[in-house]
Amino acid sequence: MEMLTLSHAAKHFGEKQVLLDVSFSVPEHTVFGFVGQNGAGKTTAMKMILGLLTVSSGDIMVNGIPVRYGNTPTNRFIGYLPDVPEFYPYMTPTEYLRFCGEISGMKSNEIKSRSTELLRLVGLEQEHRRIKGFSRGMKQRLGVAQALLNRPKLLICDEPTSALDPAGRRELLDILTAAKAETTVLFSTHILSDVEHICDEMAFLHEGKIALKGTLDEIRKMRKDSAITIETEHPKDAQALLQTFPFLKMTDKSKLLLEDTKQLPELLHCIADRHYPIVRIERQEAALEDLFMEVIRK
Amino acid sequence: MKAFLKKEWMEWIRTGRALVLVTVFVILGIMNPAFAKLTPWLMEIMSDSLSGAGLITTDVQIDAMTSWTQFYKNILPGLIVFLLLNSSSFTAEYERGTLIPAITRGLSRRKILAAKSILLYGSWTLLYTLCFGITYGYNAYFWDNAIAGNLYFAAACTWLFGIWTTSLLILFSSISKSSTQVLLGTGGTAMGLYLLSLFPKLNAFLPAKLMDGMRLMQKTDSPEDYLIGITVSGILILLCMALSTVCFDKKQY
Repeated sequence: MEMLTLSHAAKHFGEKQVLLDVSFSVPEHTVFGFVGQNGAGKTTAMKMILGLLTVSSGDIMVNGIPVRYGNTPTNRFIGYLPDVPEFYPYMTPTEYLRFCGEISGMKSNEIKSRSTELLRLVGLEQEHRRIKGFSRGMKQRLGVAQALLNRPKLLICDEPTSALDPAGRRELLDILTAAKAETTVLFSTHILSDVEHICDEMAFLHEGKIALKGTLDEIRKMRKDSAITIETEHPKDAQALLQTFPFLKMTDKSKLLLEDTKQLPELLHCIADRHYPIVRIERQEAALEDLFMEVIRK
Repeated sequence: MKAFLKKEWMEWIRTGRALVLVTVFVILGIMNPAFAKLTPWLMEIMSDSLSGAGLITTDVQIDAMTSWTQFYKNILPGLIVFLLLNSSSFTAEYERGTLIPAITRGLSRRKILAAKSILLYGSWTLLYTLCFGITYGYNAYFWDNAIAGNLYFAAACTWLFGIWTTSLLILFSSISKSSTQVLLGTGGTAMGLYLLSLFPKLNAFLPAKLMDGMRLMQKTDSPEDYLIGITVSGILILLCMALSTVCFDKKQY
């Protein structure tokens, strides 16, 4: 079943068209990466899903129910972690979770047990100070606890890792992966290694449209065969090869790039015949990064 | 809504807003009779310099009315402090984005508006009663309150004026993005209506009339003269609340 569906959603602020036509859907119990450059409109799309912004045209459904702007009933399925979560500085983490729980209509003892459990999960169980003195990473972790409090069916995280140091990022990704068992996760990011680490599916948002979407494997397959780098020991050998095979590209004085991999056997044959000493022949990793660059250059 | 009210209350206590306001209104309440008590003494000190200027001071008659005059002079600054300290009650939440978790959890916007309004109207009522009560108590102890006519009616009029300005504050809080805009809007509208009320023909129809508590006490005016002003204020308060609800429902984050 689809937990979230956007069909032809568009948004403009006055004259400025932010989202032109966004369509994708997120199946239950997946971690879905919503990728795009800074300013691509990821936060806008998320706020539309949360009913915090009006949708200019198109439809958004959460758990089969249409989202309506303002007081949307779909929000009871959603846990939301904003990009910079802000809390009431005069509360302690436990008090804040109690406040959130009471708003969601949770029972008192349930709030207590769930808060303890989540604060342990995010490593804040020893913090009894007020939120005023919290670091950015601590606020981000409290944000996750807050978002997971009422066991949402859909967890929406807006760039949860971009402000964190490597250790904090790792921890947060682990928390999100752990959350997958209970919920569906939609998270936006521009950090592609995060997507490769934890996502099952993803969509690239570019210039107001979904430029690319699918499972991680599908997307990797979409890429053309990866190029091959050949490094010779002597620069003059590289020069000679370039003269024989003009389709090669020289990237450094002794490095050549072969984009059409079908030519590889012939090239190897030539190298063997002429006894050129080789430092390495390497197939380039099909990284999402390249794909990302390809998409945005298009 | 109970949870949000609880949070608002915690905010009042822990940010010190409640303490500051209670202190201000208690001081104002004590100042009114204190100033009245000190008047003869002040006049005595100043009589020398005043006679130098050609003014002759005679014995000043001090009674509860002197103190009540002070009360109606001082309550306006009190109201301004109240509005100033509450001007960011909504806007600080917009700026920090702290309402978003509450809204995305399905707390209806009307409940948020209701909780904040209840606290604002309630606290104005309590603070006003506190200030009034202190002045009343001292006046009764030193002099006699019976001298003042329409005592409670006059007090209720001023209270209603405070409620009206608070409803303006709530309206501008649900429209504006920053507390400066809220203050400008509230202050501007109140000021505008005050200037209009300087035209004698309009005076009776505007909320500013409600601040003329002294005329009621001195019996220059009778309560009937205030009925139109009270009705107009009542309608304006309801209108402000209705508009606030519409604007707050439509607010984009």
